[in-house]
Amino acid sequence: MPETGPGKTIPSVSVRSLSCPNCGGTVIVRSFGQAVTVVCGGCHSILDAQDPNVQVLQKFKAAVKFEPLIPLGARGKLRGTLYEAIGYQRRQIMVEGVPYSWAEYVLFNPYKGFRYLTEYNGHWNDVAPLRTLPDATPGIWTAPVRYLGQTYKHFQTAEAQTVFVIGEFPWQVRVGEKAAVSDYVSPPRVLSSETTENKEVTWSLGEYMSGVDIWKAFSLSGQPSPPTGVYENQPSPLSATTKAIWKNCALLLIGAVLLFVLNNVISKDKIVYNNTYTFDTNDPGEHSFVTDTFELTGRAVPVKVETRASLNNNWIYINYALINEDTGQTYDFGREVSYYSGYDSDGSWSEGSPHDSVVLPSVPAGHYYLRVEPESDRGHGQISYAVTVTHDHPVAAWFLIALGLLVVPAVLTTWRSINFEHRRWQESDHASSGLSSALSAFSSGDNDD
Amino acid sequence: MCAFCKSILVRTDVDLKKVGQVADLPPDASPLQINTEGVYGNRSFVVVGRIIYQYDQGGWNEWHIVFNDGSDGWLSDAQDEYMISFAKNISVLPLEKDAKLGNSYQWDGIPFTVTSRTDAHYAGVEGELPFEYWDKQDIVFVDLRSHKNDFATLDYSDETPVLYIGKAVDFDDLRLMNTRKFEGW
Amino acid sequence: MIRRLYLIYGLAVLGGLGLAQFRGWTLSPVSQLMVSPKSVRDNPGSYRSVYGYYHHYTGGK
Repeated sequence: MPETGPGKTIPSVSVRSLSCPNCGGTVIVRSFGQAVTVVCGGCHSILDAQDPNVQVLQKFKAAVKFEPLIPLGARGKLRGTLYEAIGYQRRQIMVEGVPYSWAEYVLFNPYKGFRYLTEYNGHWNDVAPLRTLPDATPGIWTAPVRYLGQTYKHFQTAEAQTVFVIGEFPWQVRVGEKAAVSDYVSPPRVLSSETTENKEVTWSLGEYMSGVDIWKAFSLSGQPSPPTGVYENQPSPLSATTKAIWKNCALLLIGAVLLFVLNNVISKDKIVYNNTYTFDTNDPGEHSFVTDTFELTGRAVPVKVETRASLNNNWIYINYALINEDTGQTYDFGREVSYYSGYDSDGSWSEGSPHDSVVLPSVPAGHYYLRVEPESDRGHGQISYAVTVTHDHPVAAWFLIALGLLVVPAVLTTWRSINFEHRRWQESDHASSGLSSALSAFSSGDNDD
Repeated sequence: MCAFCKSILVRTDVDLKKVGQVADLPPDASPLQINTEGVYGNRSFVVVGRIIYQYDQGGWNEWHIVFNDGSDGWLSDAQDEYMISFAKNISVLPLEKDAKLGNSYQWDGIPFTVTSRTDAHYAGVEGELPFEYWDKQDIVFVDLRSHKNDFATLDYSDETPVLYIGKAVDFDDLRLMNTRKFEGW
Repeated sequence: MIRRLYLIYGLAVLGGLGLAQFRGWTLSPVSQLMVSPKSVRDNPGSYRSVYGYYHHYTGGK
């Protein structure tokens, strides 16, 4: 009875090299027979990699010869698995008559199979074919697609045409072959559906990678060219920052409110002097006088001086001086109070106000009195006015300024974030000018892990 | 008698041989081989045989696997994408001409959608297989997928189709041992 | 990085708010500071303002 177990050692599968039937050049096949087609580097004929006679499937003249940024044969580690770059193609779409082309790399691991990298303007994506069907709406390709709990928004649908190939491919690649491609984005991921001419649909999932990470993974020399523009699934560098800044802003706003409330509670806001006077505008003599003294205690605080005059289409100007009886320190200021009202064809109107209020800063403790001198035009009758002095009056303006200062940087980062998303969606099928599209695009935001 | 699986004889002397109309054996690139062992769910299996299919986009392997409880299934390897499936006895199955791309069917409580139709033929066999007759002309395989990792195939080799249902699996999850070696890897 | 800068900036704003409130500052300077002689208490007419006197009004239709 034959025993089981590895009786004979099976030799390892070796890398093959073929002879190109068109130009005689040597063609290396790195994928151990997984490749369906392989392109001769010398004459660019597409050869049948599965046929031992290596038939020529297509010849094409490469108008421009492209050099892959990751050289074929280079190996790099992605997601913990080592892959070898074995194929490179360029595909192109036409948008409003303008061609846009990008690069695709075929990566191979003999155990794990195939993976792909795409590159456009310095933006890279790590792409794997999906074996599970995402949740798409049949017939409406612009509807969002759900996959593994995430919603992907439609970005673009276009017909992609292969324009250049080199290396090996696990499908029957031809220059000129077309496929309808739809991209759905949920940054940093993108879901792509490809419909080939035989109507079969394949889905793949890509994740955005920076050129720096690609260079590191494949140990490439030099520097990657920096990306230009915003790519469809490029994660916003701002979204995480924006969230954090608004969170900090909320905490700081709470702090500001607490300080404001504290100030209002601590401030005495006490009336220390209140009196009413009458000013006779017809009297030509000296009108200045001084009030009784009143005491201000505690630290240096704001002092509010209010003037309420009974005016009717009249004005009064009061020269004030708040004088410290002991030190002689004087706050010299003047207040104009005027009030006019009437009734005309448009209705009743009024201008000015009979009530004036002014706050003096940081008045230290001490005994104070007011020196008052009213002025007005002659012949304006008797004007009575009340003077009220309030000690330790809280100034609310500082709180409002703090609110503004705290909120402005947060608003700026949100603005920059909206702008980033706007630039992203300008490249899509759904580009439109105007703030509304930018705002609605902003809600598409990012899905951070 | 196989000390591992107790019931099926693993014949290592039956080498890979070509069948059907192929001019030559296609290049063999699968990391699996006869006697490779692995794990699916909480059962161990060993690879005992294979069928190589070919079609216009290349080929794939259907490896015949036997579990340690005696049951058997298929581990398919298409460009290193792996799927384990089992024959399912379902009485009402669509005719080949009716199973069009995009059609939906529900088996075992899972909704499937037809994702591809492949015209293939046998290109080679090796080892122990559960049936004898394999020299067929073109066979139509209809592949279906679900919104989870499920996979189904309708095999139209005969008049009555055979349904296989299974799941896509990752290479790492199979925990394969005794795989082939590749030069440079 | 930016979050840290913003936090430091925000704390500075709060510090400024607390300072302005505690020190009793107001937004715009409304008065001129000077020293008056004691004689003003007895003779208010002798007071000399910094401004000079104001004889024209800005209101009115």
